[in-house]
Amino acid sequence: MSKREILLRKISSYAFAIYELKLYLDTHPNCRKTIAKIEEYEAKLAPLRQEYVNEYGPLFSSENKKDYWTWVNAPWPWEGE
Amino acid sequence: MFVYEKRLQYPVKIKQTNPKLAQIIITQYGGPDGELGASLRYLSQRFSMPIPELKAILNDIGTEELGHLEMIGTIVYQLTKNLTEEQVKAGGYDAYFVDHTAGIYPSSASGVPFTAAYLQSKGDPITDLHEDLAAEQKARTTYDNILRYCDDPDVLDPIRFLREREIVHYQRFGEALRLLTDKLDSKNFYAFNPSFDKKCFNKAKDRKA
Repeated sequence: MSKREILLRKISSYAFAIYELKLYLDTHPNCRKTIAKIEEYEAKLAPLRQEYVNEYGPLFSSENKKDYWTWVNAPWPWEGE
Repeated sequence: MFVYEKRLQYPVKIKQTNPKLAQIIITQYGGPDGELGASLRYLSQRFSMPIPELKAILNDIGTEELGHLEMIGTIVYQLTKNLTEEQVKAGGYDAYFVDHTAGIYPSSASGVPFTAAYLQSKGDPITDLHEDLAAEQKARTTYDNILRYCDDPDVLDPIRFLREREIVHYQRFGEALRLLTDKLDSKNFYAFNPSFDKKCFNKAKDRKA
């Protein structure tokens, strides 16, 4: 597995944990413990995302950092690279 | 609105071409219990949901299903992207190939194109949530059936992830139904359509008082 893939998997793991907690909150909106857990994971996710965007390009098109539109660059998610 | 994030919900990286497997997995793209039907079902039903938690859960699960649609498209794409003409014939992929080559088209395993008749949006949240609970179980059974025909660990891994999501969504929809009935008259949940006959929420309150 490439360095890029390892980093993307870390990002996806945190993002998934956060997503799953948010889904739980939809039916338990007063659970403070879950809201705190999301904040904890968001804090761990943010630097990983930043590292990825700096090294490999944007995850959201709004994160383009160069004077070339890097959003178009390969690989796209379905390309499995 | 929707914003695209340039990654899959769960990674898919398949090395081995396998058109036979692609032909059955395509059913979760555009088949009767597939991810396209799931996302359209929840994203359509959400509009008439009567209470905040129900709007949220339909909205968010419907959005996740779009991510699952992308994962299934990815699996089928990667299973067929390096197809040779011999593999098409040997894998029984010729019927799909003649219409779509190695493109991704929403159809069932038996080749029936996607139709909105696979889903309903009844405008009654009790009815819609029962459909949603059933839909998650039907999708779970379909994934179980796919797993019977699958021995490639690169495919097993994301399919098992998707199967697991059906179970979590079933749990959340069950909670949503409970949240709704808790606000209704427990002597007869079905006397009214809670989205249309809005007075039923007040009636339930009166009875409790």
